[in-house]
Amino acid sequence: MSDYLTVQREKEILKIELKNNWIFRNLNDLQHNLDNIETNAEKRVEFRCGGLKDFDLAGAWILYERAMDFEELGLTADFEGFRASHFKFLQHIIDIAAQKEYIPGFFDPQPHHPVRDGIRTLGKNTIEAVDSVGYIARAVLNGIKRPSRLVVGETIRQVHATGVAAIPIVMMVCFLMGIVLAYQSARQLEQFGANIFMVDLVANSIFRELGVLLAAIMVAGRSGSAFAAALGTMKLSEEIDALRVMGLNPNQVLIIPRVLGLMIALPLLTVFANAAGLLGGAFIGATVLDINWLAFSDRLALTIDTNDVLVGLTKAPVFAFLIAVTGTLRGMQVKGSAEELGRLTTVAVVQSIFLIIVADSLFTVIYARIGF
Amino acid sequence: MTEGHEHIIRIQGLVNRFGPVTVHDGLHLGVRRDEILGLVGGSGTGKSVLLRSILGLHKPNEGQIEVLGQPIHYLEPGPHKNWGVLFQDGALLSGLTVQENVELPIALHSDLPVETRRELAVLKIFMVGLDLTAAGKYPNELSGGMRKRASLARALALEPKILFLDEPTAGLDPISATEFDGLVNYLKANLDLTVVMVTHDVDTLFGVCDRVAVLVNKGIIVDTLEEIVKHPDPWIQEYFGDPRAVRARRAAKQRAGN
Repeated sequence: MSDYLTVQREKEILKIELKNNWIFRNLNDLQHNLDNIETNAEKRVEFRCGGLKDFDLAGAWILYERAMDFEELGLTADFEGFRASHFKFLQHIIDIAAQKEYIPGFFDPQPHHPVRDGIRTLGKNTIEAVDSVGYIARAVLNGIKRPSRLVVGETIRQVHATGVAAIPIVMMVCFLMGIVLAYQSARQLEQFGANIFMVDLVANSIFRELGVLLAAIMVAGRSGSAFAAALGTMKLSEEIDALRVMGLNPNQVLIIPRVLGLMIALPLLTVFANAAGLLGGAFIGATVLDINWLAFSDRLALTIDTNDVLVGLTKAPVFAFLIAVTGTLRGMQVKGSAEELGRLTTVAVVQSIFLIIVADSLFTVIYARIGF
Repeated sequence: MTEGHEHIIRIQGLVNRFGPVTVHDGLHLGVRRDEILGLVGGSGTGKSVLLRSILGLHKPNEGQIEVLGQPIHYLEPGPHKNWGVLFQDGALLSGLTVQENVELPIALHSDLPVETRRELAVLKIFMVGLDLTAAGKYPNELSGGMRKRASLARALALEPKILFLDEPTAGLDPISATEFDGLVNYLKANLDLTVVMVTHDVDTLFGVCDRVAVLVNKGIIVDTLEEIVKHPDPWIQEYFGDPRAVRARRAAKQRAGN
């Protein structure tokens, strides 16, 4: 009739003979077989283990559960003829069932209050962010006032890691952006026979906006994530606690060098970015648009003055501060799990890019108002 | 000595080298069914490397390893459903609750309905001496001892035949450690398990293990505790002559006498 049991009915007794392997792997079939047993008017059910081969906890559990179902229907369930080596599994289940107390609602899903929870999270995050930014700002100020040797060395290392190492990729991106700008502006200016104004467009947008913006976004992706991941891992492995008990302020040793390092590195990186962008423009001018290198540099000298260069460069330290603070802050917020680390690293990058763009639009409006 | 015993794990001619350093040189080991084998050795003798080689997490330079008659190859699926591993710090997945951690192997290796998975996981959690309050917690909310128990519940989730324990009592206070030893003894006796454990705890060694494998001279010496303490090897003499080991041995004898 079935692979795992045979059923005999004797007057008021239901005799169930177990056979084959009652083990974890066969659990689905076992469940099926047990569910198919029908009761008529029996008063007793006997599980007998004549042909039972392998038995394990999962098998014992499913057997016990079914026996309990029978008891609920008013039958008395008995286990007969089990060998000791088999019965010990069953004994196990019986013992555990005796101490198992369900906490009501333990497995029920928690009710969701999206609005209330949302507001609560918003408030909590705001307080946390204000608190941390203040804390870090104070630590940075203290660090600048009383720089320790440790900080200087680490800062230089950070300038290298976040700035020098990023030069090739930032220059590459800006060079390509210069090419794109030159092409797009030339297409429009050609209609008026004013090709030479391509230089104005490329130079102004690179110096005032794109050079620093692209450098900052690349750095946010490279270093913002690195800050968050490094500090988060240190937090998880208790390295930060170790620094604390050694009497070192983690802000002093970990955050300040990163913030200062990036604030030094990003303006310098912007210079490289600007140069690469101009090079891209000039390259397209010379090869495609009939504006040779000399004409490009003449026009450049006419259209650009110190202000334009400074507009870009003054933004760089602010962007750097935003990237470094977001990255380190999110890193320090990691606690508990590896997944949290991944989530906060993503948050660090997304937020720093968002903040960069917000800050850039503010700068643009302010500079336009004061005629800088 | 090995006559008449079925070997559930068989290691032949294992060689492990790290650069110029040879850790294992032609190591042979057979683990018998239903025994608890303790693995000891000084630091750098390759206890972890041996364990990782058996589990297919380390690629040995030479040699064959068979577990339950199945050859083990580096990073290839082994007898996953038949072994459970308790890593040193538990290695519970930090993003999941204890309950979910224990359910995970069941979900991966079977098509059981959700309720059945849940019930089985709860069963295992109770079996290692935890309760439902602990089941709903995340690993970082648990104490070290509870984390080990939870990890043991996960190792037992698929009804394994072999249990590997890496330093099961390291970092536990003596009371928890003794409790954990009791738990291992109880599980071994009641679930037909073969247990291989790396341990430095002499109390565990004398309280739990049937045989001891000592890693010395790039090879291995396996014997019962009674016999191995008489072995002439200097490291073994030093290890078992240590006051802690002597005390643990005396305590074990007293327990056996009672």
